[in-house]
This record gives sequence, C-alpha cells and structure tokens, in this order.
Amino acid sequence: MAAAKRYKLSKLERDERRLGFALLAPAALLLAAVVVYPIAELVANSFYSFRLTRPGFRFIGLENYAFALFEDDRFLHSVLNTVIFIVVTVPGALVVGMGLALLANQPFRIKWPVRLGLLLPWALPLVFAGLIFRWFFDFRQGFVNWALEAVGIAPPQWLSDPQLAFVAVCVAIVWKSSSFMALILLAGLQTIPKSLYEAAEVDGASKYQQFVEITLPMLKPAIVVALIFRTITAIQTFDIPYAMTGGGPGTATETMAMYIHKTTIDFLDLGYGSALATLMFLISIVATSVYLRHTRRDTGRH
Amino acid sequence: MNRTRTFLAATAMALPLALAAAPADAQQTTLRIFVGGQQRPDVMRQILDAYQARNPGVRVEVEIGGATSDQQQQYLNTVLTSRDAAIDVMLIDVIRPAQFAAAGWAEPLDAYLGAEKDAVMARYLPAYREANIVGGKVIALPYFADAQFLYYRTDLLEKYKLQPPKTWEELTAAARTVMQGENNPNLRGFATAGAPIEGTVCTFLVPMWGAGGQFLNPQGKPDVGSAAARRSLQLWSDLKAANVTPPNLAEVVTDRIRVDFQAGNLLFAMQWGYAWNRFQNDADSTVKGKTNVVPLPGFAGNQPATCIGGWQIAVSAFSKNKPAAVNLLRYLSSPEVSKMQAILASHLPVFAEVYQDPEVLRVNPWFQFARNVVVTGRSRPVSPDYPEVSEIIRTNMNAFLAGTRSADQIIADMNSRLARVYR
Repeated sequence: MAAAKRYKLSKLERDERRLGFALLAPAALLLAAVVVYPIAELVANSFYSFRLTRPGFRFIGLENYAFALFEDDRFLHSVLNTVIFIVVTVPGALVVGMGLALLANQPFRIKWPVRLGLLLPWALPLVFAGLIFRWFFDFRQGFVNWALEAVGIAPPQWLSDPQLAFVAVCVAIVWKSSSFMALILLAGLQTIPKSLYEAAEVDGASKYQQFVEITLPMLKPAIVVALIFRTITAIQTFDIPYAMTGGGPGTATETMAMYIHKTTIDFLDLGYGSALATLMFLISIVATSVYLRHTRRDTGRH
Repeated sequence: MNRTRTFLAATAMALPLALAAAPADAQQTTLRIFVGGQQRPDVMRQILDAYQARNPGVRVEVEIGGATSDQQQQYLNTVLTSRDAAIDVMLIDVIRPAQFAAAGWAEPLDAYLGAEKDAVMARYLPAYREANIVGGKVIALPYFADAQFLYYRTDLLEKYKLQPPKTWEELTAAARTVMQGENNPNLRGFATAGAPIEGTVCTFLVPMWGAGGQFLNPQGKPDVGSAAARRSLQLWSDLKAANVTPPNLAEVVTDRIRVDFQAGNLLFAMQWGYAWNRFQNDADSTVKGKTNVVPLPGFAGNQPATCIGGWQIAVSAFSKNKPAAVNLLRYLSSPEVSKMQAILASHLPVFAEVYQDPEVLRVNPWFQFARNVVVTGRSRPVSPDYPEVSEIIRTNMNAFLAGTRSADQIIADMNSRLARVYR
C-alpha cells in the first residue's frame, strides 16, 4: 500500500517534470540556436585557417592562438588598451555618476529636468556620442580648442597625439556611461530611509559623515551591480573610439573589439578573428565570474 | 454600418492601385545599383534617367552608402559575404577587382561579352583595361578614371614669380617663400591625406615611386625599407617640421584638403580629380579661376609618379537579374556616359578619345594634359588581401605622421605584417 502510494506520487512527479521540460524546451531550443550554436561555431572556426578572400578551409590547430598570444603585438596592444579603458573609465563613471545621482536625489520641487538630463546621455546611441566628441575635440573647429584659445592656451592636437587621444576617448566614455551609473545609483539612493539621516542629524553628524556612514554602506549593492554591468560593457568598448579616432593615431586607441572587427569584417580573416573573439570571450567570463563570486559572498553574509 | 463603409472605402482605394501595378509588373525589371557618396550619386541618377527613358522595361534604383572607399567596402563585405541578392550592380574602387575575383563576388563578364570581349576591352585606357582583367577574366568595367594631381594657386605663384614645381625640392622652397611673404597664419604650403584612410596609402607610395622605388622587390615580395621608401618618409617629416603641412596632418582626410583649399588656406594640394569641379563651381569657393593642376612632383633626377584611382562597375555574382544588369553595365561604361560624367562632374574619362572632345574640353580645359598623367599613373599593390595590405600601410603611415612612431619602427612593422599577408 505504501509502495503503491509512493509509486503514484512519483508518477505525478514524473508527469510534472515532463511538463516542466516541455514548457522549458522552446526557450532552451531558442537559446541553443542563438547563443550556444554561434559560440560553438566561433570556437570551431578558431582552429581553422579560414579567409573569405582566398578559397580554402584548413585545420591548423592552435596556430591562430599561438600567433595571437606570442607574435601579434597589435592584439596584445589592443588588450592593454582595453584594460586601461576599463581601469580609467569604470571608476571614473562611478565617481561622476555618484555625483549626478546625489544631485538628482536633492529635494527639487520640479524633478523632471534633472531626470531628463540624466537620461539623455544614456539614451543617445554610442556612435552619436563618439561623433559629437570627435567634433568637440577637433583640432581646428572643436569646442575644446576654441575654449582653450579663448583663455590663451595653445590648442593641442587631441586626436592625433596618442596620450591626448586616449584622454579624449576616456572623457567621452565617462560622459556617456556615468548617466547609466547615476540611474542605478539613484534607484539605490531612494531606497535609503530618510529616518536614518534624521537620526544622524540629531546626533550631530556632518554631511560628510552621513555620506560615509549611511549612504555608501546602504548603496553598496547598487554600486556592485552598476560596476558589473559597466565592466562587462567596458570590455566590449567599440563604438566611441571607433567613431572618434578609428583606433588612431596608428593603433594607439584600438580596443580588442575594434581589432576583432577589423580582422573579421575588413580583412575577412574569419579563422583568426574567431580565435581573437574566443580569447575576448574568455576574458569576459573571467571578469564576470570574479564579480559574481564577490556578490555571492556578499549576499551570503547579509 | 460604419465598419462596412470603411471596408468599402479601403477596397475602392486599393483597387486602382492593384490594377495599375499589375500590367507594369509583368515586364518591369528593377535593378539596384550601389554608389558611394563621393561618386556623385546625383550625376548617376541623371545618367540612369536617360537609360530608363530608352529602356522602358527597366527601372534602376540607386542605393547610396559610405563616404569613403573603406566604408563602401565594409558595407559590400557584409552584403556579399551573406550572398544577398539585393544589390545587382555596384561601383568598386580600382584597387578591388583582384579581391572580388578571388572571393567570387563579381560575375565574370566574359560569357556576356562573347566574341566582342577583346574589341570592347581594347577601347579603354591600358591601365583600366588591366585593372579589370584578373586571371584572364573580365571582373568589372571602368566607370571613370582618376589620378592624384598637384593643385596650386595661380594667383599666389604669380605674385611671387614662381613656376609650378616639378620636384619635391622646388615645392618645399616655393611653399616657404609664399608662406613667409603672405604672413597669414591660416595659410599652409601643402596638404595630403594623413588620417588612417585609403588616400594615405598614396601619401606613402607617390614619393617612393617618385624616388624610383618599387613596392615589391624583384622576388615579388613587399619591401618598404628601400632607400626610396625612406626618402618618402623623410620628405613628409621635413615638410611637417618646416610647418609647410598643417600641424594636424595625421587627422587630414581627402575631402578636408578640398575644403581647406577651397577656403583659400592652402597653396598646394595633392588631390584627386574630383576637386576641380568643386573649386570652380561651389558657391563657397574662394579659389574660382585661381586654380590650376600639374602632375605631382618627383625627386630631382627621377620620373614623377601618381596613384591611379577611379571606379569600376561590377555585376554581383548573387544578382537575380544578371543579363539586365550586364546591359546596364555596358551602357554605364560607354563613351557616351564617360562624356556625360566629364561634363557634369569632371570625372576623368576612361576612353582616350573623350579627352579630345571639344565639349568636354570647354568645361575642363585641364583634361588636355590630364590624360598624360592618367596614362603614367601607377597602380597600388594588387592583392586579394588588399584591404589588409592597405590597412598595414595607412595605420603605420598615420602613426608616423602623428609623430608617434619613427621611420625605422614603421618600416619594421610594415615589413613583418606584409610578409604574413604575402607568404
């Protein structure tokens, strides 16, 4: 009797499991078609010599990877550039975004102009932002050099000096991404109860102490989420330097994604481009898992 | 009631449309041609209107895209690697036929030309005939020719009693004299393309050829470390150090030279033929009637050289209307259209006889000697991997002109990367 009952229960369970799989199947198939298959194809291509400009498709094992990692200075240089962009623009956007969020969180009577100002840079397509900043930093017609000349400073060649071009691109990226940071941080700020600040006020805490002791700790989850998103997109930095400098002067501001684009789309070297893209994919996975581990530990403690 | 009336109204509106469309669709062939923004799509439209008037069964749509040769090619790369049939006919740069042949993107025209093939091809200027035949197959037909010339300001040279320069040494000296005499901070002596764009490849090659150098060594391998190549690099760094070129040379793109010259801010410019028409006809041109062109200088004791350019027309291998597309191609690559282009856009003809045409010469007096320049023009390296070859040269040249890498560094980098492409 007990055995029969158990059997009956497990049949129900099995049915439910079957239904569950059936309901999941479309999503799983779709995911396989648009995510798993392209990635598998990418990794497979990376082991071949496969150029559309020449007939032939030849297995060459790890040759593409060996060339990328040990011989291709340009690729290593583009990785280094990407890392510098991440190290500069992610914290940069966090600081600027924090300022904007604190500003937007002030008790203004009319809130929409501030919110709109926050949203606009975020809503602007990346390439537009790049084009706008290219004009901004233009040697002869740019706003920046116009302003510098007005105060008597000799205008530098922003986009044809490697260091200055890097600075200009970083400024554009920080401007573009800090509004995204600010939006997430603003959402976080609004969950902090006002009573905490009132209590601190009564205890005679200064504004700075309130920020360090209340705002920052309460905002930490929002900061971590914003940093994860921002870092992942920063690894893929493409549009803004592409529109501003085209990676120039020379290859001074070329990122990984730009070099991969050039190899695959311009040179039609799909084999080598796939190897580079696979390497970039691995870097993304490592960066994401470092963050994820951090957040998991974090939520576990709370 | 209301719904019925709406339905009736919709049917009544749709009916004549359907009736009108039906018979026309029966024989109408619609072709789509891809043209870059620089190749005067407006003039192309006028030419196509004339074609449509003569061929009522054919309608040709113009798709415009890409402000530079590279951007046009990027778009075509996407369309053609995906075997998209949306484009039937496309304009391609003179450097591309080898790539289109190797990738199988252009429909070879031999079968369509048949017995006429040799006679048809013999009518073109030799450089263009050769550029469009790859491995014995006709890959495309020439649309218009182009070459880089030395544009100069006649008023300024007369004022200082100078002759148009024949050598780079003379050019440097003349530029210095005029710049000192004018004392105008906006005026620069000379400009050429220096941004990482296709035109910058010629910035490297032209003085190298002008010093007697070759891109390929006798073994057929690229060598950019020759004495002539170093002389080319030395020329640019000298002109830059003497402030003859704009300080932001590494940002200069082809059309920026046109704009600066037109604004009266340049004495000399290394520029393609298309600019002539703009200098004479643009409303904002300050150099109307004060401009002339001569062949680009060489180095004393050597033959001057120039890059040939120009655009070819190819039929996509994926087109669904190939016979109609080939007919259109034959028309677009005819002396008649070459003459129309010469008059409407000052596009250089690909037929020797059009250069002598009195109507053409009335609009473009400089065509008289332009033919000689085009005939002596040299081709950029021919390779199925030309995009990569070009990119190696122009990014290195750009870094050199920006002053971020030395001549030795870029020669080493170019040679090692080119060796990989040509291996």
